[in-house]
Amino acid sequence: MDCDEVGQLLDAYLDDELDETTRREVEKHLDGCPDCKIEADRIAGFSSLVRTTLPMYKAPPALKAKIRASLREVSEPEPHWLFRLRRPLIYAAAILLLGFLLATALRTFAPNRNQELISQAITNHACSLMVDHLVDVTSNDRHIIRPWFNGKLDYSPPVADLAQEGYALVGGRIDMLDKRPVAAIVYRHGSLVINVFVWPDANGKIDFDVQSDRGYHFCGWNQAGLNYFCISAATAEDIEKFEDEFRDHVNL
Amino acid sequence: MGDERRQFDEIFLPHLDAAYNLARWIVQNDQDAQDVVQEAYIRAFKGFHGFRGGNGRAWLLTIVRNAAYTWLNKRVSDQRWVPYVEEKHAQIISINQPAKEHGIEKQTEDLHSALERLPPEFREVIILYEIEGLSYKELALSLGVPVGTVMSRLSRARRRLRAQLEQSKTRRAANGL
Repeated sequence: MDCDEVGQLLDAYLDDELDETTRREVEKHLDGCPDCKIEADRIAGFSSLVRTTLPMYKAPPALKAKIRASLREVSEPEPHWLFRLRRPLIYAAAILLLGFLLATALRTFAPNRNQELISQAITNHACSLMVDHLVDVTSNDRHIIRPWFNGKLDYSPPVADLAQEGYALVGGRIDMLDKRPVAAIVYRHGSLVINVFVWPDANGKIDFDVQSDRGYHFCGWNQAGLNYFCISAATAEDIEKFEDEFRDHVNL
Repeated sequence: MGDERRQFDEIFLPHLDAAYNLARWIVQNDQDAQDVVQEAYIRAFKGFHGFRGGNGRAWLLTIVRNAAYTWLNKRVSDQRWVPYVEEKHAQIISINQPAKEHGIEKQTEDLHSALERLPPEFREVIILYEIEGLSYKELALSLGVPVGTVMSRLSRARRRLRAQLEQSKTRRAANGL
């Protein structure tokens, strides 16, 4: 190792940062080279001078407090997602509550609509029996009655052939019900007339079991977007049976 | 205060003086150094989970150093270090280093001004090695350079500092002080 090479390594040698082999080589050179030894002593002396005399800046006392304050700020736990979403959640809850109240109100008022409907249906049924206006089209063939409705209504009511079950098809008629023209399909069961009103459920679905009013039995149901209301002076049992048969045939 | 905060404070707040000293030597201004240190502590806390034990002082100083350079880089590159103003620095020393013996005071002042005249990359190796006692390996990690570079940079920094100190002494002698 020559003086130049050693000169490059002197600092690391004095700082004890050389590997063992290199350290020994530098040491060997220094033993036989007074110039490099003098330089080494100078570096060591200077280094210790710096260590002992270089002024250290002390942190101003206020800095620690400032740092603590900003650490408090950043170390505050992240608000829980529920907390962050509290506003939207409150809105959502309010909307749900409003919806619930509205639904309850509708349910409360719904019977009135049913009552009105039933009243109207009873009137329709009674009228169809009193005046000689039971049917607009007379046929026991559903393939005649159904097309007859087509030109008069904006929907096509299903017409069930229930002759086998003891309900003879008489014909069809157009009535006003639920504030719109509806199909009335007329059956005869023994001596009794059964009116089945059929109309789209755009104003609301109906669904109620057999009830009786003014000597009539009637029931209502909803099926595939249409409301069905059947009414007759027949027994509750007969009406129930009729509903079952009619539903079955419409399903087919 | 959370456990994490308590642990962080315990490890890093004792190194506040070291952090401030380094920042102060790099940015060379009290207010900026305070801002840099504050920023560095926040960065350190946010990255605390990445601290795997070991030399907390070296870890913190690395962050201080980076924060200081981020600050320096915001300045225009031709103003990377403030030119030496005798009165200003004399004042700083008198605050931080109360007068002891006359000769030592002069030497401290000379060394201070000599170090101030070095470019920041030399100033910081002097501070980190001579004052903070980081090893070459820790310095390499802190500066993001190979150990060989640390070796030559420290060597050059000492040589330049020595030369600057000689100049100060010569000038003082010429001024008859």
